[in-house]
Amino acid sequence: MLEIYREEWIGDFVILEYKPIELQRPSYAIISLPDTGLVGVISAWHIIKTLQLSEVGGVDSYVYLPPIVVVSNKIMRTPIRVFSGSNILVIYSEFMPAQQGLLHLSKILANYLERKGIDYVLLPSGVPIQNRFEVENLKTYYLTTTSKALELLKDTDILPFENGLLAGTYALLLKEFSRAKLNTILLLTESFLEFPDPEASAKNINIISKIIGRSIDVKELLEQAEAIRLKARDAMKNTLRGLAQMRKDVEYAVPLYT
Amino acid sequence: MDEDFERLFKRIKEIERNLREYIEDEFRRAIGKFREDMMHIEGMLAPMWHYEGYLRPLYSIVDKGSYYEIYIDLPKADEQSIDIRFRGNMMYVRARLKEEIGFSGLSGRGGETKFHEYREVVELPFNIDPQKVRVVAKRGFVKVLIYK
Repeated sequence: MLEIYREEWIGDFVILEYKPIELQRPSYAIISLPDTGLVGVISAWHIIKTLQLSEVGGVDSYVYLPPIVVVSNKIMRTPIRVFSGSNILVIYSEFMPAQQGLLHLSKILANYLERKGIDYVLLPSGVPIQNRFEVENLKTYYLTTTSKALELLKDTDILPFENGLLAGTYALLLKEFSRAKLNTILLLTESFLEFPDPEASAKNINIISKIIGRSIDVKELLEQAEAIRLKARDAMKNTLRGLAQMRKDVEYAVPLYT
Repeated sequence: MDEDFERLFKRIKEIERNLREYIEDEFRRAIGKFREDMMHIEGMLAPMWHYEGYLRPLYSIVDKGSYYEIYIDLPKADEQSIDIRFRGNMMYVRARLKEEIGFSGLSGRGGETKFHEYREVVELPFNIDPQKVRVVAKRGFVKVLIYK
């Protein structure tokens, strides 16, 4: 286990820091938890790798997370890992907390990011489309919690998410971050629901790159797309049960009143 | 009087039939749910790879009314080698990988095993007529349409 610099218990979750986390301004937090097509997880994984962020902390829970130890380069890590570098903080997990734990985790993350003085929170995710097999030009939609967050999107060509339903991890995060008045942008790129979708992740990364003003090349990600899909099969399989429990299928539904 | 009895018996028979249908429906639903849970537990515990050198692909099945749509994710598979066969209500999927793949660099699990193909058996809730099947392969995905 990495040496712990700071440990904080909030309810049934523990937040660990391996060294002081100091971010330059404006600071951005990227939250990636397993959801539709693992779009957020693959996006964050590529950003961590390309920007060479270092692991600075972790989040764990004996109640709401599976009894898992992640081993990376012979060192034990927590199931939810925190990476940072310059003005970026990434919270990354390939494991979905139990549904009851997601609400607690969303509240804890909102509180933690607020205390860290994070200026903007980016939630890269996917929105499932039934004909993903045929579609090659993927559309990206956004939802923001504040007008300050909306300002960041003025140089992008993505579409507002006008009407529809959101279910699952990112729906909860968005609600809690909105309540905490964090400037949050949810990116929803069209994707597969039940298969890892690196192409949708690449689309999200291109937008994140514009937002944060740093170049993040996705060429390698697209070239390695098949290898990533192959590697991500287990993480996707583990995510599917959680997606079904969270009634992810309602995202295909049309709301009656808009 | 006879007419009253006849009406009463008819009503009792109707209630009996409704009750029997209700119990049968509930029983069928419970068995279906139990079977689904068992399959899920079985699936959760079964690894996505086998030490003999094959991988299990991710797949999804959607009932589209007049047909079933099955998607199979076969990244790194050689499209020419994709072999899908049907027997009864079973669908057998095999596809060779374009190159041998090992997990040794990624995980201690899997050890030195080299993987060379995908293999999967998918059970469907009805018998499949191979004449009523359409298969499309694209970008490492396979779409199978099975008309009812």
